Amino acid sequence: MRRRDFLKGAAALANGAALPGLAGGPPQTRPAPCPVTLLAVPDYRRDMEKEIAAVMADDGLVLKGKKVLLKPNFVEAHPERPINTHPSVIASVAHACLRLGAAEVTVGEASGHRRDPWFSVLNPTLRAVLDRRVRTVDMNHGDAVAVPNRGRRSGLPQFYLARAVAEADALISLPKMKTHHWMGVTLCLKNLFGTLPGIYYGWPKNLLHFRGIENSILDLAQTVKVHYNVIDGVVGMEGDGPIMGRARPVGALLLSPFSLAADATASRLMGFDPRRILYLIQAGGFLPGLKAEDVAVRGENPRRFATVFDCLEDFKRMRGGPFF
Amino acid sequence: MIPAAEPNPLVRRLAAFVRDGGVPYYPSGEPAVEASLLALLALSASEPGGQTAKALLARISALQGPDGSVGLAPAHPGQGLWLTAPAAVVFHRYDLKAARDRALGFLLSLKSVTVANDPNVRQDNTIVGWPWVAGTFGWVEPTAWAAIALGVSGQGGHPRAVEGRRFLLDRQIPSGGWNYGNPGVNDRELLPFWDTTGLALLVFGRQPGAARIRPSLDFLEGNQDRIESLCGLAWAALGLECHGRDTARIKKRLRAALDSPPDDTTNAAHFAAGVVALAGPKVFLP
Repeated sequence: MRRRDFLKGAAALANGAALPGLAGGPPQTRPAPCPVTLLAVPDYRRDMEKEIAAVMADDGLVLKGKKVLLKPNFVEAHPERPINTHPSVIASVAHACLRLGAAEVTVGEASGHRRDPWFSVLNPTLRAVLDRRVRTVDMNHGDAVAVPNRGRRSGLPQFYLARAVAEADALISLPKMKTHHWMGVTLCLKNLFGTLPGIYYGWPKNLLHFRGIENSILDLAQTVKVHYNVIDGVVGMEGDGPIMGRARPVGALLLSPFSLAADATASRLMGFDPRRILYLIQAGGFLPGLKAEDVAVRGENPRRFATVFDCLEDFKRMRGGPFF
Repeated sequence: MIPAAEPNPLVRRLAAFVRDGGVPYYPSGEPAVEASLLALLALSASEPGGQTAKALLARISALQGPDGSVGLAPAHPGQGLWLTAPAAVVFHRYDLKAARDRALGFLLSLKSVTVANDPNVRQDNTIVGWPWVAGTFGWVEPTAWAAIALGVSGQGGHPRAVEGRRFLLDRQIPSGGWNYGNPGVNDRELLPFWDTTGLALLVFGRQPGAARIRPSLDFLEGNQDRIESLCGLAWAALGLECHGRDTARIKKRLRAALDSPPDDTTNAAHFAAGVVALAGPKVFLP
């Protein structure tokens, strides 16, 4: 699908999203707004382990004795571009998990365009900052477990999940705050593409593109249970993301048990209206947290970080705000 | 059959990766077809008749389906059919002509999907290559492997092989190199990769089109000192040597990487590719 065709669909859905029923059925009921916590992190030199552990515990994340898999967005080691979740953020979250009593902590990624894991989670810059108890796993090359696709959009009967994903007791998604040249933004939900091994799906995971990127994101969101999310917004990427864009300092980490609430809040911080982003609108049909009133922002005042990310012309119609 | 050479200590170390008749990518994993195939190519240069090669070959041969395809595992039918191309190269090197021809038959039936050209993407989407997954677009790596398989089998002039090389030339980044298969998007060149560049260069060894790959050769030769990974060193050395470029420096570094003690992150497929690279690109050439 060409970008402008996709965007036509997105615009139509966005216009219809105010009408009940058009975003995939009634939202999941929940007792209280979804918490999203903002932590101020002006640069990557600051060790955030204690603060992250405190927020995770406050959000009710229980990791004692569990096998935890951290899924960063780590796709292209490139010193001049903020493409990946920063190693210091990955390390802070990994060490926070150990602090909370996790029995095993693994950092795993199935990069979608690089086969060579040296450019991904086996990169020395990451391994150098991790506690020796934290393993790094190249999930592109290895065993997979077939699980039924619990969504109905892509038409794929099943997903082959990396074994590390299937066997984890707790999955924590750690995306980078970036624009995306096909989807508008790439955050927690899009990050799930990296749970699928390349030896099954190729480089890039073209089967998922063929079945519709947004369809595949949504099906994965219904199939893969994510227990917690931490978005690296210390330095994001604007413009022609997710690889060729420019650095955009925001100075914040976003933490939440709710993927869509985290994505919607991050989008607002980036100057995009999540109710104008097709896959977020559709995710609102089965996940809580799309609307601002569904989210309880905690920690720092979001006004401190709110900005407007530059983006490709096609995505400027997704902008909105001010939201805070 | 390639004649047996002097016993190679690296090949002995490669054999240590074998488990349950196959080679896992990583020590904690299950035997993997791709890692086993690359190990077989490494063994073909020095110990083609050894017990390790025989066991690996038996396992791979048993995976070949009635249609000639070779996939990831019997438990996951239809998955990883891109492995048929490297399997065909291995079958050729071990003189299993019937298995090779059935694999080539499957490859010739497998075509990438074509679509209309998109002004945002700098490539000709109407050229047919080979996909990772049936029913999707063509990409550099599966197309390169399929073209190599046809080339070593004496079918480098087959129309699909010719179109495969045309596909690769179209996907070459203008300033040199290849990535997974998009040279540019939105008027910007994308970043080249060491491994896919080395692999694509192998396709043009002793085949037409070599004159047009000079930007990629220059790129790889000029940047070889920046390559740090075993995977990158292996495929870059193969691509450069295939076209007569000096590989003394890169092979020295490759040798050092292979000699370092393996750990739980050592990818056996990359180790095997490194052993192949030290022996030279002949297993990939007609």
